[in-house]
Amino acid sequence: MPGNPPQPGSGPSDADLARMSREDLVTLGGEMDGVKVIYAEQPVEPGSAAERRAERQVAAAFTGAGLSALAFMVIFVAWPWQVETGGDPSGLAVLYTPLLGLTMGSALTLVGVGAVLWAKKLMPYEVAVQERHEGASPEIERQTTAATLVSGATSTGIARRTVVKRSLGFGGLMLGLMAVFPLGGLIKKPGNALYETPWEPGMRLLTLKGLPIRPQDMRPGSLQTVFPAVAGGARSADGVSMLIRLLPQQAADFRPREGQEDFHWNDFVAYSKICTHAGCPVSLYEQETARILCPCHQSQFVATDGARSIFGPATRSLPQLPVEVDDDGYFVAKSDYLEPIGPAFWERSS
Amino acid sequence: MAAPSSSAQDAGLSVEATAGQELFENGCITCHGRNLQGVEDNGPSLIGVGEASVYFQVATGRMPLKQQEAQAQRKTPVYDDAEVNQLMAYIESYGSGGPGLPTESDLRDGDLAEGGELFRLNCASCHNFAGQGGALSSGKNAPTLTQATDLDMYTAMLSGPQNMPVFGDNQLSPEEKRAIINYVQTLNETADPGGLSIGRAGPVPEGLVIWVVGIVGCVAACLWVGTRS
Repeated sequence: MPGNPPQPGSGPSDADLARMSREDLVTLGGEMDGVKVIYAEQPVEPGSAAERRAERQVAAAFTGAGLSALAFMVIFVAWPWQVETGGDPSGLAVLYTPLLGLTMGSALTLVGVGAVLWAKKLMPYEVAVQERHEGASPEIERQTTAATLVSGATSTGIARRTVVKRSLGFGGLMLGLMAVFPLGGLIKKPGNALYETPWEPGMRLLTLKGLPIRPQDMRPGSLQTVFPAVAGGARSADGVSMLIRLLPQQAADFRPREGQEDFHWNDFVAYSKICTHAGCPVSLYEQETARILCPCHQSQFVATDGARSIFGPATRSLPQLPVEVDDDGYFVAKSDYLEPIGPAFWERSS
Repeated sequence: MAAPSSSAQDAGLSVEATAGQELFENGCITCHGRNLQGVEDNGPSLIGVGEASVYFQVATGRMPLKQQEAQAQRKTPVYDDAEVNQLMAYIESYGSGGPGLPTESDLRDGDLAEGGELFRLNCASCHNFAGQGGALSSGKNAPTLTQATDLDMYTAMLSGPQNMPVFGDNQLSPEEKRAIINYVQTLNETADPGGLSIGRAGPVPEGLVIWVVGIVGCVAACLWVGTRS
């Protein structure tokens, strides 16, 4: 440490230090820290043929890494990369991504290979031990350090100057609150959103393109994904529903859920497209078995049985949208769903 | 040449329909019945099913069925084009009104982006977003679309074969059907930019390959380095 007086007898004098070689200094430094090298070995004889061979290997790996990286950049700039949709799948452009991966991968790999070869073949191998010292500092150092800290705190006068202390506390508290306050903007009260969808009495059922649907548009055994007729309805995550026209025999066998006997219109039924298990879109419709399948976890619902769940992890039926045909002959909803659509949530009662 | 038959429909059959009748009585009658009325537990009635349905079932080799199973599979067709036409003519003579064949010659004449959107909304849930097909209930499946011709897809949408829902022309207009076909065939013909398709089934097989091949390879390399120390 600069400014410390030299302590006679505790180590080599300045004259001794000046005479010492770098290796001696390294040994001395190790001794001062209690480190002792007990075994050291050179992997190759300096100047030997083995050393030159190892050097060539390391150099080859690093050079290869550099060339690969260079090749990556050249390919990135110069290689044809545009693949025509529906075009010739055997063109050079098909190789663009694989070549980028290959060159970048080999560049990174070769850097690693070079570093490992260098460490294993050229660097000396040594084993060193270091004594562990006592855990705590000497008593005298601990006492003096504690006194210095306390004296520093006292000299600020914080304990005496009540006004300063309180104003500092106030300022610090408010600054801390200011830092976390904007997070409050992320908290949103959900309100009734989980219980409601955009469907309203008399609202038309629209296709993705926004066209209303007449009964004669759909043949028996067909399915139409429908959206509520509101602005942005075709992107409505909770209003999306399936309008299904059952086959004649299925319509004859239709069993509505209790209290929902008038939700279907002749052989048409409409159900929520959101699975009651995890909220995936269920639209794998088997027209012969009238089963609606969920692709995520293989839940199955029976369209002729109020979309009752018969297989898989979903336990609740798909909510049914009550539908009818308005005076102009287009399908409309009679009301919103009677129950929340989609998966369970914390406050949900059923 | 008049095939021996007691059918009342014999009178007034065209030459083509008469040839179709002979094919029907050799290959289809067991399951679909003498007057196309169907045989309970074996095969449905074919009265009024339309040319689209006959074309799809016969030209893709699904019919005649080899055996009763969960669903008919695509196989090498038994009948050639002329024979398919004869069967269509015969079945049509029992009742028309079902969906017919498209009149356009180019069934890919549609907007690619719109076709993609319609495909993802109407088809991808069963056939997979890359048309690779997928499982349904009780051993049934939605077949892959990689082998399907333009006309196969068009007639399938029109007729709703087996468990596939029907997409009539008021639901998906002919232009929209052509757009969907254009999209699927473009997907089929597009090169895989990554070099390897890995089934084109999305992140699951890709992740599997990374885990099984990539990570096992890394572990093997680590073990090898360890043995050399």
